[in-house]
Amino acid sequence: MTEDPTEGTEANGETSSREANDEPSSTDSQLPTETDAMGPGGTYVESQVIMTTVRVVAPFTFTYGLFLTFHGGGSPGGGFQGGAVVGTTILMIAFAFGIEPTRDWLSNRTVVGLASGGVLAFALIGLLPLLVGGRFLEHAVYSDEFGLYHGKKYALEGVEIVGIAPIVSAIVIGLFFTIAAGFVGQGAAWQSSGPGSYPEHDLDGGDEE
Amino acid sequence: MSPGAIELVLFAFVLLTALATAAFRDVLAAIIVFAAYSLGMAIYYAVLLAPDVAMTEAAIGAGVTTLLLLLTIAKTVRPGRDEIFESIHWSGLLVVGAFTTVILVTVTSFPEIGASDAPIVSNPEVSQYYIEEAYHDTGVENAVTAVLAGYRGFDTFGEAVVVFAAGVATMVVLHTEVFTRD
Repeated sequence: MTEDPTEGTEANGETSSREANDEPSSTDSQLPTETDAMGPGGTYVESQVIMTTVRVVAPFTFTYGLFLTFHGGGSPGGGFQGGAVVGTTILMIAFAFGIEPTRDWLSNRTVVGLASGGVLAFALIGLLPLLVGGRFLEHAVYSDEFGLYHGKKYALEGVEIVGIAPIVSAIVIGLFFTIAAGFVGQGAAWQSSGPGSYPEHDLDGGDEE
Repeated sequence: MSPGAIELVLFAFVLLTALATAAFRDVLAAIIVFAAYSLGMAIYYAVLLAPDVAMTEAAIGAGVTTLLLLLTIAKTVRPGRDEIFESIHWSGLLVVGAFTTVILVTVTSFPEIGASDAPIVSNPEVSQYYIEEAYHDTGVENAVTAVLAGYRGFDTFGEAVVVFAAGVATMVVLHTEVFTRD
């Protein structure tokens, strides 16, 4: 009962092993139950064309987003653009395979942790130079005082890679999931948009319905 | 430098889609045309040799914004109407027209693209410094990244925190709405 009130048990098992699923058969057995869970008001349409396209395109856009992030110092791009492209890849997957399974796969805690961790990492990179009498975000300190090889370059890249990119991608994904929360049917929204204790929200949702 | 054929076509496309976004009665049509507008702007930025801005416009403007707007209208009720276009709001048109006229008057005082007497070329102390010294100062080849994460790192930190705070605030508000709604 605390497991899952709306979906079949075997569909839940499929959802948890989504990363490894490559065979179309497992996808087929999972998606119809998802559509049932959304009810007649749900807007998710299972489309073989969209799913196949996304399955082919997603690895490339994800890699391109990482390339933009990691190579932002040497070519056009940077943490903001790369983070946005990585976030868009997740949105694409959610559109193709259903928003709720994607939300379950990528937990809220991960998304919020990415955003908060990005701000903390950015602040940490900026604050470390203060320890040796430098100024906030004075990247040159990393090569001059800390003796890191190409320290100022890596500090700048670090700001882009572990600071800006996670913030942007997490906020894009988080906003998408939050806005999407209401419209896949009340039950689905209640059960998995809650942070923290997952089964309690299940029960609350059941009571309200 | 007079604008080439590509610029003219892109300019016409962007202008047309911008007007269509305002004119369409149906919200779904307006959102899709708005995505086309963003794509046109992204290509336009790339033609103007600003690939960093072009990528941001393509990813955020054409991609994320469109998806978020589509999700939003999927959750709201669209009034069914027969007209394709909005009826013209004359007083609003007057204000917007006056504003556009004021903006257009200032456009003529801009130097032409690539003109040799433009301040950025004729008075190059600042811009030339970044182009010449960015690699030496920050260690990265892309001057845009050098300025954003190096020279102006503090501003970028502020922007990142603003994005974080705005996103978290929106999530908290919408989350509360989802969970307190009957």
